[in-house]
This record gives sequence, structure tokens and C-alpha cells, in this order.
Amino acid sequence: MHQIQLKLALGLAALLGSAALAVAQSGPDPMRALRNEVQISAADPMAALRAPAATETEGPAPNPEFGNLPDAPGAEETYYQCTACHSTAIILQQRVTDARWDDLWQWMVEKQGMFDPEPAEKEVIMTYLKTHFSSER
Amino acid sequence: MSDLPDHAVAPIDTDQPPGNSRRAFLRGTSLSAFGALLGMTIPFERNLPAGIIPVALAQDTGTDLMSGKTGLTIMSDRPLNAETPAHLLDDDITPYERMFVRLNGLVPQTALDANAEGWTLTVDGEVETPLSLTLEDLKAQFETVTKVLWVECGGNGRAFFQPGSSGNQWTMGAIGCPEWTGVRLADVLKAAGVKPGAVYTGHYGNDVHLSGDAEKQTISRGAPIEKALEEDAIIAWAMNGEPIPALHGFPLRLVVPGYPGSVSQKYLTRIWVRDQVHDGEKMTGYSYRLPAYPVAPGTEVPEEDMVIMTVMPVKSLITFPETGTEVPSGAATEVRGHAWCGKGDVAAVHVSTDFGATWQEAELLAPPNRFAWQRWRANVTLPQAGYYEVWARATDADGISQPPVSPGWNPRGYGNNLQHRIALVAT
Repeated sequence: MHQIQLKLALGLAALLGSAALAVAQSGPDPMRALRNEVQISAADPMAALRAPAATETEGPAPNPEFGNLPDAPGAEETYYQCTACHSTAIILQQRVTDARWDDLWQWMVEKQGMFDPEPAEKEVIMTYLKTHFSSER
Repeated sequence: MSDLPDHAVAPIDTDQPPGNSRRAFLRGTSLSAFGALLGMTIPFERNLPAGIIPVALAQDTGTDLMSGKTGLTIMSDRPLNAETPAHLLDDDITPYERMFVRLNGLVPQTALDANAEGWTLTVDGEVETPLSLTLEDLKAQFETVTKVLWVECGGNGRAFFQPGSSGNQWTMGAIGCPEWTGVRLADVLKAAGVKPGAVYTGHYGNDVHLSGDAEKQTISRGAPIEKALEEDAIIAWAMNGEPIPALHGFPLRLVVPGYPGSVSQKYLTRIWVRDQVHDGEKMTGYSYRLPAYPVAPGTEVPEEDMVIMTVMPVKSLITFPETGTEVPSGAATEVRGHAWCGKGDVAAVHVSTDFGATWQEAELLAPPNRFAWQRWRANVTLPQAGYYEVWARATDADGISQPPVSPGWNPRGYGNNLQHRIALVAT
């Protein structure tokens, strides 16, 4: 096993030059992946060791003015619609299907007393939620 | 909004009794006055329905109370939700500072003030003699019992479902096992005289709905009457020998072990014995319900095909060592944790250090009482330096084990009892 690793390391060193050689000389680091969590995709079984949402790095930067919602069209409308009841923390955790978002909206209006805005405004908010907090895209 | 009087802002009377008085005052005040109180304008104030007041004014969210917790991961600040990392759950009896927090609404003012004066529990509905019991009545009229009972959120493990499902993305730590003191729910129900037509219990508390609407129930769930009449469930006034803390249901709560934590109503004011399946807030729709048949991940299940989630599945945690710990190769390393099951018994726990290829049986201790989690421990020897994972797998008395992957996807992400695993690095 050690021989195989050494051959691989030397092979890589030959291919990549002195920088790779320095890495090879320090030996394999079994914890490398854990120390660099963002490089592990959500589909990796190791994702079970932490909360997936904490490693999300893609998409627009968070806007502190709107509770750290991703800075994109619809963020302001979404912020004021949703934070009448709850903070943005629960929004930021979501990765759900469009159908779930539709159901959640209906549930919040019918059961939770949420204000149902004009259709155009609802469209802006739902598009924003389905764009940035989706399991489909 | 314009139909509300736009009168001058009055100072809040701090001498008012706790409860709804402050909210009642605010409900009569215009939104521009709210803005003045907040010291800012309220953009989109048209979005606030009549009679609904901004949460910022309605109620303290209880966030300050989180300073009494150590090491928890906060999922949401309003409502407050926080889970405990597995390695901080090593105690046999979970201390206050490491008990997870799951709130559907806001902590009621009575709990924030630790004021139980005049508190009564009503037991009514399908009973011969409706009861109205003070805390003193409960303590005087019924046998006091102390039990170690785990409480787990039905959505614990939700984060691992793909595609995702809505709600707090709990990983492994929405579970805790404190010691509770109170009276048996069954004793109280029997004192009221449960009628033959009783089907379900319906639980009510005085926590505040997120919208600030005093008319709305935050959550009102229940249990089949047969479950409620078993000896395990208690109406508790103490946790770990102290009055129940504000975040956990002061001054009175139910602990109905084996079922999703939401059945264990906090801030308990009423138990309504129903002649039908309870239809309170979060009993219907997709809340705490599972598809009646197995579905592919991401399937939209019609509402009428959703059934109430009851018994929690068998599960275990590795609470020592912490994931990522370095241990010596070629020598025995102790790993340990807890195991529990909604049926009330765990038959065995096994651990693997080779990704599930081989398993060794762990030592499993008997629980101090039914529905306490059970301590398990095992010595593992990692043969050479490198990266390992420890996987733990509990098995219930019917031979049903935890799966290595997320089981049974469901629209709201309940009941995920996949095996817990930690990383160990042998040196």
C-alpha cells in the first residue's frame, strides 16, 4: 500500500514539478478533505457529517440589509414579506422543490395568517425563493 | 390599516400583568405608531394584516436565553431553533445547556417572567368530569414521578434528505434526554374519567404565534387515547430537578415519549380529549405526516394520502469521541453513545470501522426506565494510520435496524434515522 502511494506521489511529482514534490514529501493527509469542506459536493456521503446549508458558496452574495438574503432581484420584497413573522434564518436553510414552495405559500396564507400580496408581488417573491432556495436548480 | 385610530403613542405600562395585555394594547395602535416605537419606519407595512402587529414589538423572542446554552448550533433566531452537536450529547442525562431548542412560535411572556401564578391545566372534552387543576392540585392529587425521557424532533435528520424538504435543517442533534418530574398523564386522564367515545388528545399551550395574532394557535398536536393512557407519558413541571426552563415549556409541559417531540406540548394549558382524531394546528396537511405508501424522492404526495407520524424509528448517536479526533493505530479506542427507539426498547447496537463491511456488537446498557436512551460503548482498534469512519447502527426488538442511507423520503423530511458516523484519524 505504501509503495503504491509512493509511486503515485513520485509520478505526480514528475508530472507537476517541484511544487507537487513538496506536497508528496509531506505525505498523504487523511484529513485533507475534512479541512477543505467546501470542495466536497452535497452528493458525497461525507456530507452526512455536517449541515449541507453551511457549505453553500454559490450564488449572489448575502445582503446584510435584507437579513443576508442573496443580493438579487426580489430580495427586498421577500425580506419584508417574510420577516413580518419569522427571521430570514429559516429561509436561508431551504432547498426545496417548486411544488413545495407553492404549498408552503398556500399554507402560510391559509393557516398562518400571512398577508397575501398582489399577484405581481407574489410572483416576484416566489420567483426569488424558487431561484435561490431550490433543490431543482 | 387606515381604519385603525391613529392616536398618539402611549408609553407601555410595565406594571401590567404578564400575558396578553401588552399585545392587546398594541393591537389597538396604528402601524405608524409602531414605527415610532421601533424608531424606524416599517417598509411594506401594507403587508401586515389588520390586527397583526410586528413581531419586534409583540414579544421577546427569547433569544437572550440562548446565552445559557453552550455549543449549540442555532438554526433560526425567530422562532428559536437550535441543535446540539453529537459530541456535546455525551451525558447520560442531558443538562439544560445542551438540550436542543425547538419552538414553533415565541416564548410566552409568562415563561420569560418565570411567572406561574394562577396557572391552570384544563382537562375537558370526552371526559366524565372536566378538571381545572393548578400546579398545586397536580402535585397534591396525583403521584409524583421522575423519569429520564428522551425528546426528539420529528424532523431530526431532515438535512440529509435529497431533494430537500422545508423546515429547519436538523442534522443529528434535535434530541435530548433530560430527567423530568411530574405526574402521569394517564392518572390525570383517569381522574377526569375518559369516556368510551374518546379517540385522541388535543394539547394546547400559551406560546405566541409568530404573526403576533393572539387568536392563533402556534401548535396543537395530540396522541391516540391508547398512547396517552399508557404509563409512560407525564405532565412535567421540572426538568433535571429545576422548574422547567422558559425555552422548554415553563411552567408545565407534556412529555409523551416515543412520539415526535411536537406531541410533548410546552407551556401546557389544556388537554382536550377528542371524539375524533385531533385536528389542531400542525396535525393536518403535511405537518408531522408521512406518505401512506413509499414514494420516490421528490414526489408530490396528495394531501389525502398523508398519514400522521406516530412512533419514532430506532436510532443511535456516537457522542464520543468528537468527529475528526486523532487516535493511535493498533490500540483499542473507546467509542460510545446512546441508542433509543420510539417503541421503547433497543435490542442491540453494532459499530463498524470499515464503512459497514464488518460490524462488531457494542455493549448496551439497560435504560433506567422505559424511553430513556440507552448507553452503548465499544472498543475499536484501527489497524494502520489513516482515515476511518465509525458507523453506529441500533436494532430494535423486532430486528429492525437503522439504514446506512436516508430512508423513506417524504415531503416534509421526517423520521430520518440513517446511521450516524464520525471520522477518526489513526496516527
